[in-house]
Amino acid sequence: MSSFQEALNSGKFVVTAEVGPPKGTGIKTMLHDIELLKGKVDALNVTDNQSAVMRICSLAVCKIVLEHGAEPILQMTCRDRNRIGLQSDLLGASVLGINNVLCMTGDHVLAGDHKGAKPVYDVESVQLLKIVDGLNNGRDMSGNELKGSTGFFQGAVVTPEANPLEPQMGKFAKKVAAGARFFQTQAIYDVDKFREFMAEARKYPVKVLAGFVILKSAGMANFLNNNVPGIRVPQELIDEMKAAGKEKALETGMDIAARHIRRLKEEKICDGVHIMAIGMEDKVPIIMEKAGLL
Amino acid sequence: MIITKKKDRKQLLENVKGYKNFFLLGCSECATLCGTGGQEQLEELKQLLEAEGKAVTGAFVAKTGCQVLGTKVELKQFKEALAKTDCIIVMSCGAGTQSAVELFDDKAVYPSNDSMFLGNMTRLQMFDERCSLCGQCILDKTGGICPVTACPKGILNGPCGGTKDGHCEVSPDIPCAWVRIYDRMKKLNKVEEFKATTLDAKDWSASIKPRKLVAREEKK
Ligand code: SF4
Ligand code: SF4
Repeated sequence: MSSFQEALNSGKFVVTAEVGPPKGTGIKTMLHDIELLKGKVDALNVTDNQSAVMRICSLAVCKIVLEHGAEPILQMTCRDRNRIGLQSDLLGASVLGINNVLCMTGDHVLAGDHKGAKPVYDVESVQLLKIVDGLNNGRDMSGNELKGSTGFFQGAVVTPEANPLEPQMGKFAKKVAAGARFFQTQAIYDVDKFREFMAEARKYPVKVLAGFVILKSAGMANFLNNNVPGIRVPQELIDEMKAAGKEKALETGMDIAARHIRRLKEEKICDGVHIMAIGMEDKVPIIMEKAGLL
Repeated sequence: MIITKKKDRKQLLENVKGYKNFFLLGCSECATLCGTGGQEQLEELKQLLEAEGKAVTGAFVAKTGCQVLGTKVELKQFKEALAKTDCIIVMSCGAGTQSAVELFDDKAVYPSNDSMFLGNMTRLQMFDERCSLCGQCILDKTGGICPVTACPKGILNGPCGGTKDGHCEVSPDIPCAWVRIYDRMKKLNKVEEFKATTLDAKDWSASIKPRKLVAREEKK
């Protein structure tokens, strides 16, 4: 069993963070981040050509994470590989000792830096979850028997602030049925609203980690509201960021995150949090400390 | 119908600059509706070529350019004009162009249009792509709206996280296919069906190219 799965099963409030592989072979900063976060968080997601921007592959970086003594979660999108490539990489991940996989459809190539690329999407997130379930049970997608099966702890993503929410929740149910055992959510900024989402999610036998993206400024909050699907920063938080002024903005953003995390934990709203620091990995331990998790 | 758009005329003239005598072949079906291969466009191109000092030996709008035999029969009346031509410009889709290639194996054949997609005409000369000819229709399971085509990711089981106020992450001009499908299924009381069915990945072997179909029944 993966140590991440064990942590979730133990009932402890779990924390995951993220490693963004760089574009190029210069991995010093990334290694520094891994060293900084290991032992503090329960697992590290490794993003898969995030935002369709070409970088080092998630699989290779997961292996590096393992070698540095941390627990990786392999993010896998369906944008760049067909069913043969996906399954083959999953088998590869398994023999390298990578035991957690997060199945996603993936941002469209138009979001990235190779806009002329052919988007694959041979399968999508729900079908990829089914594939993982099959591999775990000794069968490939075509039903062929495997010589040795995988033992993945597989998860998926969900957007609690999706607008409209109903079809998103329908898909959530399909992901559970397809084998998802944990969920990491898109960033949330409204704990009350998230609690409503969790009331629905709790009907399913899955673990849920609430997503966090640290606010750096009121401007960033407005940007998220206007440009990023599925993220909604409530006005009172924007006001709080504004009131803090430029100097204290980041500090305030971290305080907000810590305050929300503390509440999620104390009120047992969900099973943990997923902190997407996006270049500010050094802030993750600070937030955890502020939230009383370190 | 097959949606076509005119190639840039400068580019077209550059493509055919080595030829002198032209025959223009349009199509009365899709290309006429698209305004790329009807009588008017043939006349337009004729004038353009003549202004460049070229000769146009004949011009004809075929009934259905992709119908090879029918087009062959129709073109019989232009035997002379065709004999004098060294280049046929086909003003329909890529299929029509290749009918001409098949019929005139010793003549240069050039397309005047870019062929784009199978589309529905929503208003005069406005076209939407609604079917990708995947070879295995699933409209029966998706409320009659095709996610293979209407969703840029071809997702078969509900919206991705990119839906923003009902629009697609790829462009605010695209309504999210899965929000549309869900709304329609809801209207038809099929939400439970949506939730309960997980569609398997498509069998793309149904659309391996080139495809061929023999629909006629052999007489014994
Ligand atoms: S599923 Fe879509 S692409 Fe396939 S045949 Fe039906 S409408 Fe066309
Ligand atoms: S937003 Fe909707 S239409 Fe666009 S890629 Fe996602 S599911 Fe498909």
